[in-house]
Amino acid sequence: MSPVPTTENPFAGDNSGIQKRETIARWALRVGSYIVVIITVAIMLHIFIKGAPVTFQSKWPFVNTQFLTELPATLHVIEDKQGNHYETDVNGADAIKKKLGDNFRAEKTISYSGGGILGPIVGTALLVIVSVGVALFLGVACAIYLSEYAKHGKFLELVRLAILNLAGVPSVVFGLFGLGAFVLTAPVFVDVPADRSVFAIPLGFTTLSFEGWDTCVLSGGFTLAFVILPVIITASEQCLQAVPQGFRETSMALGATRWQTIRYSVLPFATPGILTSSILGIARAAGETAPIMFTAALAFKDKLPWQKDLPPLPADASIFAHWDQSVSRFLGIFTESVQALPYHIYTLAAKIPQNEYAERAQYGSVFVFLVLVASLAASSVLLRKRLRAKYRW
Amino acid sequence: MDRPTTPSRPPLRSVLLRSRKHTVLGVDPQHLIRWFFGGNASIAVIVLVLIMIFLLREGIDFLPTYRHELQTYRRAGLEFCDIIDQPLQQNQTLSSSLRQAISASLETLSKSARDRRDAAFLLKRQIEDKTTRTSESLSQALEKTPPLPPAELAKLRSEVQKAAAAASASLTYPDLFSAAEREQLQREFAALTPEVTDLPPLLQTLAADFTAKDREARTKFASLVQAQEEFEAATEPLQAVVDELKQHAQETKENAVEFEVLETNRLRLLEAAAKEKDPDEKASLIKEASASFTEAVNLAERIQAITSRATELREQVEKYAQVIEKAAAVLPTDAGTGVARTMVNDVREGIPVHAQAMRKAAAQLDSWRWDKPVSIFTVIGAFFFGTSWITNSSWQDFFGFVPLLSGSLVIAFIAILIATPVSVVAAIYTNQFASEREKELIKPVIEFIQAIPSVVLGFIGISLVGNLIKDVSEWSWLQWVPGFPIQERLNMFNAGCLLAFMAVPTMFSLSEDALNNVPRAYIDASDALGATKLQTVFRVIVPAGISGILSAILLGLGRVIGETMVVLLVAGNRIAIPDFSAGPGAIFQPAHTLTGIIAQELGEVSRGSSHWQALFMVGIVLFAISLLVNWCARAVARRFEPHKA
Repeated sequence: MSPVPTTENPFAGDNSGIQKRETIARWALRVGSYIVVIITVAIMLHIFIKGAPVTFQSKWPFVNTQFLTELPATLHVIEDKQGNHYETDVNGADAIKKKLGDNFRAEKTISYSGGGILGPIVGTALLVIVSVGVALFLGVACAIYLSEYAKHGKFLELVRLAILNLAGVPSVVFGLFGLGAFVLTAPVFVDVPADRSVFAIPLGFTTLSFEGWDTCVLSGGFTLAFVILPVIITASEQCLQAVPQGFRETSMALGATRWQTIRYSVLPFATPGILTSSILGIARAAGETAPIMFTAALAFKDKLPWQKDLPPLPADASIFAHWDQSVSRFLGIFTESVQALPYHIYTLAAKIPQNEYAERAQYGSVFVFLVLVASLAASSVLLRKRLRAKYRW
Repeated sequence: MDRPTTPSRPPLRSVLLRSRKHTVLGVDPQHLIRWFFGGNASIAVIVLVLIMIFLLREGIDFLPTYRHELQTYRRAGLEFCDIIDQPLQQNQTLSSSLRQAISASLETLSKSARDRRDAAFLLKRQIEDKTTRTSESLSQALEKTPPLPPAELAKLRSEVQKAAAAASASLTYPDLFSAAEREQLQREFAALTPEVTDLPPLLQTLAADFTAKDREARTKFASLVQAQEEFEAATEPLQAVVDELKQHAQETKENAVEFEVLETNRLRLLEAAAKEKDPDEKASLIKEASASFTEAVNLAERIQAITSRATELREQVEKYAQVIEKAAAVLPTDAGTGVARTMVNDVREGIPVHAQAMRKAAAQLDSWRWDKPVSIFTVIGAFFFGTSWITNSSWQDFFGFVPLLSGSLVIAFIAILIATPVSVVAAIYTNQFASEREKELIKPVIEFIQAIPSVVLGFIGISLVGNLIKDVSEWSWLQWVPGFPIQERLNMFNAGCLLAFMAVPTMFSLSEDALNNVPRAYIDASDALGATKLQTVFRVIVPAGISGILSAILLGLGRVIGETMVVLLVAGNRIAIPDFSAGPGAIFQPAHTLTGIIAQELGEVSRGSSHWQALFMVGIVLFAISLLVNWCARAVARRFEPHKA
């Protein structure tokens, strides 16, 4: 029997709604992914709109230099009987009160909200310098071992497992570790060991006492270094692995030793990548708060780390004449506790009553902080892209 | 013929094997370099070990210290008092729900009068706020001696009047008032000056209205009001006895603690004296030591004073139980509203349970022994299963872990619940559907989130998200959502949202990697079978990558539990187990977390105290949790690996 001829077109599109379902599902997925993008952009815009007016101004030089170059201070707001508000610092407050005389009505003080944020910026910079210095040294050396020397085996597995786990340790636990290890136990050279010293090794001219570094840049920097260590190791190892195997084989074939190979055929090609990737580590170190809470940060400090009450060095000689003092003063910067931007933001957000003046300081600090961190992250991404275009093997 | 002389050359063997190595201390420098790098590689292992060592060093003493504290707590008789005092707290809960029921009932009659009164007083306050400056100047001027010339006073007065008139005109008067009343209010407000202390007549009428209505309501629900008062009063004789005992126990404890401090001080001084060589110094140390001596507290005698009252206490408890049971029996069934009725019913059911709990507690008094040693397992149990974290208390510090853990877990649960669909959807879309340009937009933006410092997100939670959630929760068409309208701006849900946002980049990148790693052949095979794109994605690619996605979720969970600043700033920091009886609305309650408590309290405690050690114990647990989560993630990734072709 011949098939019944149908009038339907056998090549017609599918009518069962599959196409429609495909489109709907695709749009649902698209909307889902763009939600995250929109939220991110909205948060950034919010901070920009609220924070930019504090940091920038409409007059020359367009940047609020006072906010960026002064130390944080208590803000005094004085109101007169006509309802005018004067914002000033401690010294200005008395002068204005005297000038207003009878016309003075009320004075409000808002902690930490006056002045600028130079102290926190400097503190964060110092912490980042120490932590990135330490972490780069340890991390790159570790990555070289993992990429160039290690053979499969128990040790390698152990190291990889440790790196993975280190990356998952909560930042506040790093803070506890830093407190226990660096603030309270790390070794220092002193003449007389303190009571709390765990043990002391007499060296004749001095004593190596395990009594800790106290809360200072060094403690905080070392703690942060271990927080970012996994990031640096992973990034550096990837960069080393990206150098083609042929480079190593050529070098070895010419009779170079393993170290010469690494030194002359691998590192030169990997270094730019390592450095750009470690910028991400800098951003991370600058942004962490919990590890420095107990190891380095102060809520308030009215001096920069190098401003100390020391007699000035004799002016007649060059700095080399007193180089030992100059060096010890320079190193003294790192044994000071500092303010740090993230901790400053925490203090502003959680420890003082909220009002319009506090809000201005908050958004200003957040904006500056975010611009610093975001530009670091962005430059890392851009540089990496450029490097990828440059080195094509 | 002479053979051509071969040029003398060293034998090949020796050339090839000639050692050209320089050695340093007998070791090949290549080995040294290798060891150097290998040593650095082990730094990760060393740091992990060091973290463990230092956490344990500061924290492990917690168990003996806390054990000692709990022992004092028992020996001084504080525990004895708490046996009765703890269940007695239930009375307040019950009585407060009765009070709520009463106020709900009263409102059925007096609500409109009260609202009108409150609205009028609110308006008055607003006027006063707006005219503060002028009225202040006027009152200051009036107080001046010698009095100012009348002309100047008149000027000030007219200024005040002008300000009041302007303010009263600018206000919006709610619909609660009729047009005539509104006009009268405006007129009265415009006449407000600091010199007139009497309330404007309309306000007086409104206040009187409310008082009358309230009295009327109170007579109507008199039985309820009376029941509540009786119920509250019933605890008084019992509470009096308990308070007396508590004071006695507290004294004992303080003396015992003081003795201990002095005693350790004395022993330390004596030890120092034994080591000291200089006789003068030695004598002064010994003298100091003898000064630091007090009589040891006779615990057995003092505890006798407490335990001897056990019978009296039991009688009081029995009396109390009977009174409240009787009160429950006669609790009126009529209440103003349905809600009030359910509340009253709950109380009626709750009272016998409470009475039973009190009787049970009283029965425990007999078996309680002051000299029963506290075992180490009790201490471990008290830490891991303790339901209260109380510090700096004048009564007794408790370090119970459950409130913190429950806060952390609920927040993490909310965060994962929100972050998982979003990040998996984003990963599927970018990996399978997005065009190159879309990828170039979505990926960097999501990766950028990682660079946002957590303290900034916490600040956003305080300044933006908290208000947003609170405003949204007050929208009338969303009132069906459990927990709306919310009480606290800073709560677990807020923290959960922000943590979800933080976890998205981690979960997104790892999920996307997992999808990327699905072998090409699977996709080709699916395509060849005629599957549509959607079918390929959801029936082939996602199932094949599920192990990676699951491990991404677990790693996200690790990140969320360990996050500190966001929860510290946003979670509300109330140390209490969330009240899950409120249903899903419980997520809008504030809570405290494992990480938050360390960050908040560690800065304020002295080293070596039990509080300090307890915080390090929390750190140890956090560390263990992070290791466990990592291990699970790896295990999951390995478990579901058969898809790797």
